[in-house]
Amino acid sequence: MAWELLLWLYAFASVIALIALTAYQLINLSDLEFDYINPYDSSSRINAVVVPEFMVQGILCTSFLLTWHWFPFLIMAPITYYHVNLFMNRRHLIDVTEIFRLLNGEKKYRIIKLSIYFSIFVIVIYRLVMSAVLLLTDEGFGSLESGIF
Amino acid sequence: MQPMGNDKPANVPGRPVLPSPAAPRPSTPFISSGPVVGLGTSGVPQTAAPFLSSGPITGMQMSNYRSSPPPIRYNGPSSPPPPTSYPGQDATTYQQTQAPRFPPPAQPGTPLRVPPPVGLPVTPPMGSLHPQLQIPSVPMGPPPQTAAQSSSRSYMPPPVSESSFSAPRPPPQPSLHGYSNMLPGGNMPPSPAETQFLAPRSVSQPASQQAFPAFHVPPVHASPYHVHQGGVVPPPLPPLGGPLGYNSRGQMQYPSTGPPMGGNLQGLVEEFQSLSVGSAPGSLDHGVDAKSLPRPLNGDEEPIKIQETYPLNCHPRFFRLTTHAIPSSQSLLARWHLPLGAVVHPLAEVPDGEEVPIVNFGPAGVIRCRRCRTYVNPYVTFMDAGRKWRCNLCSLLNDVPGEYYCALDASGRRCDIDQRPELSKGSVEFVAPTEYMVRPPMPPLYFFLIDVSISAVRCGLFEIVAKTIKSCLDELPGFPRTQIGFLTFDSTLHFHNLKSSLTQPQMLVVADLDDIFLPLPDDLLVNLSDSRHVVDALLDILPSMFQDNANVESALGPALKAAFMVMSQLGGKLLVFQSTLPSLGVGRLRLRGDDLRIYGTDKEHTLRVPEDPFYKQMAAEFTKNQISVDIYAFSEKYTDIASLGSLAKYTGGQVYHLPSFQAATHQEKLRYELARDLTRETAWESVMRIRCGKGVRFSTYHGHFMLRSTDLLALPAVDCDKAFAMQLSLEDTLMTTQIVYFQVALLYTSSSGERRIRVHTAAAPVVADLGEMYHQADTGAIISLLSRLAIENTQSHKLEDARQLMQLKLVKSLKEYRNLYVMQHRLGGRLIFPESLKFLPLYVLSLCKSVALRGGYADAPLDERCAAGYNMMILPIRRMLKLLYPGLYKIDENLIKGPEYSEKSSKQLALSAQSLDPRALYIYDDGFSFIIWLGRMLSPDLVNGILGLDVSGFPDLSKLALLEHDNEYSRKLMRILKRLREKDPSCFQLCRVVRQGEQPREGSLLLSNLIEDQTAGTSSYVDWILQVYRQSQSS
Repeated sequence: MAWELLLWLYAFASVIALIALTAYQLINLSDLEFDYINPYDSSSRINAVVVPEFMVQGILCTSFLLTWHWFPFLIMAPITYYHVNLFMNRRHLIDVTEIFRLLNGEKKYRIIKLSIYFSIFVIVIYRLVMSAVLLLTDEGFGSLESGIF
Repeated sequence: MQPMGNDKPANVPGRPVLPSPAAPRPSTPFISSGPVVGLGTSGVPQTAAPFLSSGPITGMQMSNYRSSPPPIRYNGPSSPPPPTSYPGQDATTYQQTQAPRFPPPAQPGTPLRVPPPVGLPVTPPMGSLHPQLQIPSVPMGPPPQTAAQSSSRSYMPPPVSESSFSAPRPPPQPSLHGYSNMLPGGNMPPSPAETQFLAPRSVSQPASQQAFPAFHVPPVHASPYHVHQGGVVPPPLPPLGGPLGYNSRGQMQYPSTGPPMGGNLQGLVEEFQSLSVGSAPGSLDHGVDAKSLPRPLNGDEEPIKIQETYPLNCHPRFFRLTTHAIPSSQSLLARWHLPLGAVVHPLAEVPDGEEVPIVNFGPAGVIRCRRCRTYVNPYVTFMDAGRKWRCNLCSLLNDVPGEYYCALDASGRRCDIDQRPELSKGSVEFVAPTEYMVRPPMPPLYFFLIDVSISAVRCGLFEIVAKTIKSCLDELPGFPRTQIGFLTFDSTLHFHNLKSSLTQPQMLVVADLDDIFLPLPDDLLVNLSDSRHVVDALLDILPSMFQDNANVESALGPALKAAFMVMSQLGGKLLVFQSTLPSLGVGRLRLRGDDLRIYGTDKEHTLRVPEDPFYKQMAAEFTKNQISVDIYAFSEKYTDIASLGSLAKYTGGQVYHLPSFQAATHQEKLRYELARDLTRETAWESVMRIRCGKGVRFSTYHGHFMLRSTDLLALPAVDCDKAFAMQLSLEDTLMTTQIVYFQVALLYTSSSGERRIRVHTAAAPVVADLGEMYHQADTGAIISLLSRLAIENTQSHKLEDARQLMQLKLVKSLKEYRNLYVMQHRLGGRLIFPESLKFLPLYVLSLCKSVALRGGYADAPLDERCAAGYNMMILPIRRMLKLLYPGLYKIDENLIKGPEYSEKSSKQLALSAQSLDPRALYIYDDGFSFIIWLGRMLSPDLVNGILGLDVSGFPDLSKLALLEHDNEYSRKLMRILKRLREKDPSCFQLCRVVRQGEQPREGSLLLSNLIEDQTAGTSSYVDWILQVYRQSQSS
């Protein structure tokens, strides 16, 4: 049970990191849109965190898979697939020369991603609390554990 | 009757009759419809009314009004019951827009009697006409009704301009006759013979029309009515009209009205006057006569008339909107299917005497709006006795600085307006004070990056490049501050130390490509005037230095990095001479584009985008450091222009592609273009921004530049050969202003080291009517913008998709136009388009056949396709249109006949193989190259004289350089070529000679470029028109 709690703690930290990284990218993009920042800085800042984000996301996803947590894994899987796809096609980095043309699309993409991360965040918190409660009470509250989450 | 009364009053107040430019336009289309009505009986007003009402759109209404002119013609004898007809028209729909036009109700009665407008003799052919008309109707089915309808219509619109219209009309009627006779069934297409007939008529008509001052006719002239009834003017010619043929459809009856024809004519004739008349609809038959199709044989005609309406606007050579009428609402914009935007050519060359005035505000600083930063311009208004001025873009009230104060005269104008070009001219150049500099103005700087691998050696490049550079040294702009530097590379990088204390240049070789470093901190880039002798020495020995180089590798990527390190402090112009595929170090490229299988798949576009992100990143770095890159590519093999060109694309540069470079044949072209590149006036470290009034916004930009923020174009170097296009979007659903202002501001450093701001200001009206947008459309700007959109499209989609998208836009816009004017009348068998867009279908066709967009894999080598694409992205409108519809001239007579004849420039011919006569000699000129076509039966004397050798030996003409020989023919030909070249100094037109029947050269050089002909997989002009027509008709 302690492992379970650790896993969810780790997941909690990861999802926070993912949300933070995505939000950071979004902020950079909107700064660019309002001309608070030039495209060179904006794209280099964004590009600096793209790969770390992919890695955090990928590791989290695999850890769900390895611990047989199907539901969170399946939620994460499409994003992982999308990331891998982007990476393989070398389209994951923002192109500074075309950044203004792509601005709206990139923002939309990141907003969608952010909302997915938030929904995962809710699930993770729920499971985290659940496993903590289970561990603390140390009782057979197994019936509380829903099969889905 | 009742409706009439009501409507009219309402209408009158609505608009001022004369003033609004918008009002006049659209009528023409309708005209066609109008006539229909007129023919019939005036008697059935009621039926007519429903008809009219059917047209829901305001725009349509407008058109109807316009159409009114046609009715005029008819008028003659028969006294119509005008009142009745009137009501019908007024009914509902028309009121809003056209209301002003309508004469008071009383008018109709009186005018009838009035003789038709000026020139036209009203003949009594009417009687005859009527019968004929009816005849056609019979086949249709319910003839009587239609007739009634038509009659009602004719009455409706007796607008101001009627008199002018009357003239055109008569012609149509005759046509009608012909048609009616021809088409018993109505469905049959007219025979070709007929169509031809028609064509001539149209031509003749214009003349008659011109006689009438259409616009001037006061609305009072009820004359239209008369005309209406009366008569049909006997058309001196068979009037059919317009460039378009007649249609053969069942709708014959309608066509009989003939008005469409008239409209066309008018359009052709009016050109300048057409403001009020508006667009002319054309009609097309199924058996279209190729000869009657519209062709831009006079090249681009700049929309000068805008200058007349808005004399304070900058000249259209600097700024052209795709339509000089901004839609007032999103919904209206949605119906304008063509791109809405502008083409800006900030440094366009101006003829002598029209130079842009330079203004120095001195200590007052440049006068700008506090809020939106707009520069002071002729459209600002001074108030409060001259102490304040109101910004025309954002309406903010600004203070006038004390130094700039001037009293106002009685009319509120500044007294010194004539002495201040910034208040009286649309284009001015301000001298910018130090606040506009982030660093001291940079000196002009040229850095040459020359590939010296074996392929460059083989084609004899160095000699020409070195000599050209040397000959230009004296003319480089910016003496004595000009800086210069050289770097050569193959598998290693060769730096050249040009320190002024040396007598001979030193070459320093760096072989480490992974970690580039500069062997010297400075002296790689030197002041030209200080080190002139060293530079001269280097250029002298350069050709021999690498004569025996057998190195096949080319390390372009590292060389670019090295050049960047040398130039990054100052910026400037980097000229890259690349003659093989970059093969070493970072940025190496691989052969691609040979894979046939990728064509037609979703991955096809990847061939046209840079393969390695290195080039884009490098381009971004270059722009950041104010470096502009020009690419000269020479290889006959694949060099991945798509990747190399992106360097030029994002740095405001240009791609010069001279495939299969051979010193003997290409040297003149390279010499000229390199010299022009080096010596033309260049604006350095510039940025450009276009401001526009409230409610509109430029959303996308197309051309060679890099966006530094959402609306700031960074242009490390820009010159007179580069134009930029941009698209507009509306920010609000409804525009509240009457006029939208645009201001282009280019801040740059001149070669002399002065910081300047070139400002172009323009105003455009906001309109609520689609017809007006069509009327004010500018085909040149539309095509320019459309081509850039299409080329960008090919970088993310298939070629086929890009072409279809263009066609779709064309068809949609024509369909929309058709809906404006035709739907209610069921005018089936005609293609209707506005006068302003008469060349649009042809240009779109030509665009689809252009090198950048044509066919598939086999139709153009990938490199040439990409190079053409890069070129089209920067072309100014005039050269773009020239490229799309090149000139074809028959010149053998000029050569043979006397000198006085040879000075006359010959007429431009239609681009079709039918124009080619085997007994003649032609020049094909697309602005980038000349092709001289020798007919098979041309006299051998002439051919031998021109070529300077005996043709009977079947020499290889592809290797032949056309030189001046010592005979009259050759000298005359050279004079003609020279004159043609002078027309377009921005490029050297390489001249190639091809003989008739010499395959495959003839096919690839000339025949495939005759865009009106059918070539593999593409349609001919006639087919294209039919295709477009059919698609625009299907809903």
